[in-house]
Amino acid sequence: MHMADALLAPAVAATMYAASGTVAGISIHKLKKDDEPQKLPVMAVTAALVFAGQMINYTIPGTGSSGHMCGGMLLSALLGPQAGFLSMIVILAIQCLFFADGGLMALGANIWNMAFYGCFVGYYLIWRPIMQIQWFGEGKSAQRTRIVAASIIGCVVTLQLGAFSVVLETSLSGITELPFGAFVALMQPIHLAIGLVEGLITTAVLLFVYESRPELLQCIPVVGGESSKRSLKAVIAILAVVALVVGGGLSLLASSNPDGLEWALFGNAEKGYAENMGLDEESFGLSSKAADTAGAIQEKTSFLPDYAFADNDTAVGTTVSGIVGSAMVAGVAILICLLGGFFRKKKIP
Amino acid sequence: MNKMQRAIRELSEMDELAAGSSLIHALHPAAKLVTTVVYILVTLSFDKYDLGGLVPMLLWPVLLFQVSGIEVKACFYKLRIVLPLVMAVGLFNPFFDKAILLQLGGLPVSGGVISMLTLMLKGVFCLMASFLLMATTSIDSLCAALRKLHVPKLIVTLLLLTYRYVGVMTEELAVMTDAYHLRAPGQKGIHISAWGSFLGQLLLRSMDRAQELYSSMMLRGYCQEFYYADYRAFRLGDALYVPASSTAFFLLRTVRIAELLGSTIVR
Amino acid sequence: MIEFQHVSFAYEKDRPVLQDLSFRIEKGEAVGLIGANGAGKSTVMKLLLGLAEGEGRILVEGTEVRRDSLPVVRRKLGFVLQNSDNQMFMPTVYEDMLFGPLNYKLSREEADARVDAVLEKLHLEDLKHRYNHKISGGEKRMAAIATVLTMEPEAILMDEPTSALDPYNRRIVINTIRELEQTKLITSHDLDMILDTCDRVILLSEGCIAADGPAREILYDRMLLERNRMELPLSLMGRSD
Repeated sequence: MHMADALLAPAVAATMYAASGTVAGISIHKLKKDDEPQKLPVMAVTAALVFAGQMINYTIPGTGSSGHMCGGMLLSALLGPQAGFLSMIVILAIQCLFFADGGLMALGANIWNMAFYGCFVGYYLIWRPIMQIQWFGEGKSAQRTRIVAASIIGCVVTLQLGAFSVVLETSLSGITELPFGAFVALMQPIHLAIGLVEGLITTAVLLFVYESRPELLQCIPVVGGESSKRSLKAVIAILAVVALVVGGGLSLLASSNPDGLEWALFGNAEKGYAENMGLDEESFGLSSKAADTAGAIQEKTSFLPDYAFADNDTAVGTTVSGIVGSAMVAGVAILICLLGGFFRKKKIP
Repeated sequence: MNKMQRAIRELSEMDELAAGSSLIHALHPAAKLVTTVVYILVTLSFDKYDLGGLVPMLLWPVLLFQVSGIEVKACFYKLRIVLPLVMAVGLFNPFFDKAILLQLGGLPVSGGVISMLTLMLKGVFCLMASFLLMATTSIDSLCAALRKLHVPKLIVTLLLLTYRYVGVMTEELAVMTDAYHLRAPGQKGIHISAWGSFLGQLLLRSMDRAQELYSSMMLRGYCQEFYYADYRAFRLGDALYVPASSTAFFLLRTVRIAELLGSTIVR
Repeated sequence: MIEFQHVSFAYEKDRPVLQDLSFRIEKGEAVGLIGANGAGKSTVMKLLLGLAEGEGRILVEGTEVRRDSLPVVRRKLGFVLQNSDNQMFMPTVYEDMLFGPLNYKLSREEADARVDAVLEKLHLEDLKHRYNHKISGGEKRMAAIATVLTMEPEAILMDEPTSALDPYNRRIVINTIRELEQTKLITSHDLDMILDTCDRVILLSEGCIAADGPAREILYDRMLLERNRMELPLSLMGRSD
C-alpha cells in the first residue's frame, strides 16, 4: 500500500504530512509523560523485527501464492498505540529512504494510511474493546478467542480504511482518470483479501507470544488458570478455511462484474502491487505478466479507430515544439553526462 | 540468496555510495534534504498534461549524478517498486481520457496517454531525487540534519537505533529462512504450522535483546540524550546551495524551456 | 575495589541463584569467574552493575551499590557484553565510542581525544569510521572493548570476551586484555583464556563459591574442576600431575 510521490499533488502530500505530524507530536508527548526510557530500545528492536518480518513469505494453504505482513496491528498490540505508531513511522521512513518503497513526499500519506489506522484505530476501537469484552467467558481459551477476533477484525478494518485513504488521496490529487466509485470498488475487495491474510499472520504471531510471554501484549491480564487448550494450528486452520471461502466468494463477485476488462487489468496489477508490498520483485518486475498484459491492451486500444479526433492546431503546435524541445533537453542531459565523464577521467591520473 | 540477504546487500550498497566523496557528498545534509524536498514538490506541481514542462526537470538529477559520480544504473534497481505502482494507477488514464490532444505524424495521442507518461516521469524523477539524497548522505549525518531541522529527538533516535538493528534482525531472519528451507525443501514460503512461531521465536529473543541493549545504554550513562558525530557547521556554500537550486527549479517550472528550445527549430 | 558481603539472590522464591556470597577483589587484580552453566556467573555481574537487586551488600571502592548510587558506581565499571551487537547500538564505531564520554558530560574535544587515544592503544585506527553492521566479529569485539575503555573505567567486567572468535582474533583479544592495567573481572568457559589473563580464579557452583585462589592452583586441579562440571584447560591436558 506504499504510495509513490508521483501519485500525490503537493497540497495533498503536505496535508497528510501535517496530519501524521500532529499525531506523531501527540504520541511523543504521551510517551514523554509516561517516561519509560526502557521503551526506546524495545521500540527500536521491535521495529527492526517487523521491518525484517515483512520480507517473510507465508504460504497461503491451498492457493500456491504467498502472503505478507505489514505489521501495524502487531506493533500496537505489542507496544501500545503511541509507541507502535512511532515505530511504524521509522519503518516506513527506512523503506522510503533506503529502498525507494514509498516516496519522500508521500511519507506523510503512507504514515497515515498504514500507521495511523493500524495503530490508533486498530488499538482504541478494536484491540482494547475486544480485550475487555466478557462474551467469550474467562480463562485462556477465551483470551485466545479475543486475540484471534481482535487481530483479524483489526487488520481487515484498518486495511480497508487504508485502502480507502489511498483512493481518496489519489483522486484528490487529480492524477487518475479512473472515476472515484470505480477506484473504490477495485481497491476495497482486494484489500479485504490482503487484510484477511495479514490478520491471520498477526493472529498466529500474537497467539505464539501469548502462549509464551502473555505479559508482552497490551491490555491482557495475565491469567493463571489453565483451561481447555485449543491448538494454535487448529485455530489457524479454521481461520484459513474461512478466509478461503471469503476469498473465493470475492473472486466470483469479481468475475461477474460487468466491466470485466478493467477488473482483470486492475486485478492483475493489484496482485503484483500486493506482492510488491513485501519487496517481492521476482513476481513483479518490470517485465511481469501483469505489466505485459496491461501494456499489450493499452497498445491495442490506443489504435482503435473509433477514437474522437480533436482538431486543435495551437495546442498541437505548442506540444509538438514541446516534444522537440524535450528531445533537446535530453541532448543537453547527455552532454552533461559526457562532460562529467570527461572531467572525471581527467581527474584520475 | 534470499530476500533478506538481498535487502542487506541493498542497504550496504547505499552505505557504500554514501561513503564516497564529492562536492555533493560534502554538502550539509540539511541543505540536501531541503533541496530534495523542494525539487520533489516542484516536480509534483506540474499539470498532468504538462509533459513538455516536466521533461527539463530531468536536468537536475542528471547534473547531480554527474557531479556526485554516482552511476545512474545504481538507482534503476529501485525503480522496480515505484514504476509498477505508478503504472497500475496511470494505465487507466488512456482508457478514460480519450480526448485527442495532439497528432504526431498522423498518430493521434490522447490526453490519457500524455497524463500517464507525465505520471511515470514524475515517479522516476522523484525516485532519482530521493535516491540521490540517500546515496550521498549517511544515516548518521541524516539524523544530525533531522535534529537540526527540529524533528523531535525521540523519532530521530528511534530512526538511528532501528536502522542499526534492521541489519541485525534481517540477518537473523535470513539465517532462519535458510535453516527453514534446508529442512523443508520444495516449500516456497513458511508453512501455516509455523506462521506464529517463526517470527514469534525471534520476537521473544528480540525482547531479551532489547533488555540487554537498554542495560548497555544505561551502563554508559544514557540519560535520554543521543549525540551525533556529524557536527559539521552549516557553511556559506550550504546556505547558497538551497536558494540557488530552488531558483533553478522555479525557473524550470515557470520558463517553458523545452518549448522555447523547440520553437527555435520548429517554425 | 570490589567487595561482596553475604550477597544472596533469587529470581523465584526457594530457588536461589546466589547464596551468601562473599569475596573481595583488590585494585589491579585480574580475576576469572568460572563455573558451569547456571552457576550464577552472570548474576554476579548483574548485581555488581546494579542491573538486578539482591540481598546483602556490594561495595565498589567503598560505595555501596544502590539505586541512588548507580551513576557513581557505573562510572567506575566498564562492562563488555558477550553479544557485541547489543553493545554497539550506534551506526559507526566512532559514535559508539563517543556515547559514554558525552553522556558523562565531557566536552566534545576531550571525548574526541579519548577516542583517538584508545583507538591508538588498541591499534584500531582503521575502524574509527566503519559501520558497526559491516565489521567482522573479531573487529566488533575489539570495538566493544574500545567503547568501554573510552569511559576510562577503574574496573573492567567482561562476559565471555572470547566467545565465537577464531584463534587469531581470540589471541588479539587475549593480548589486549593482558595489557589493560585496570582491575578485571572476567567470566568465561574458555579456561585457557582465563589462565592466560587472570592471576586469581573464583569457582562458582550452584550459587556458592566452590574455590577461590590463584589461577595456577585452581585451573591445574583436575579433580576440583571435574567435580564442578568442568575440564582442565586444553593447554594443560595430557600433563601427568
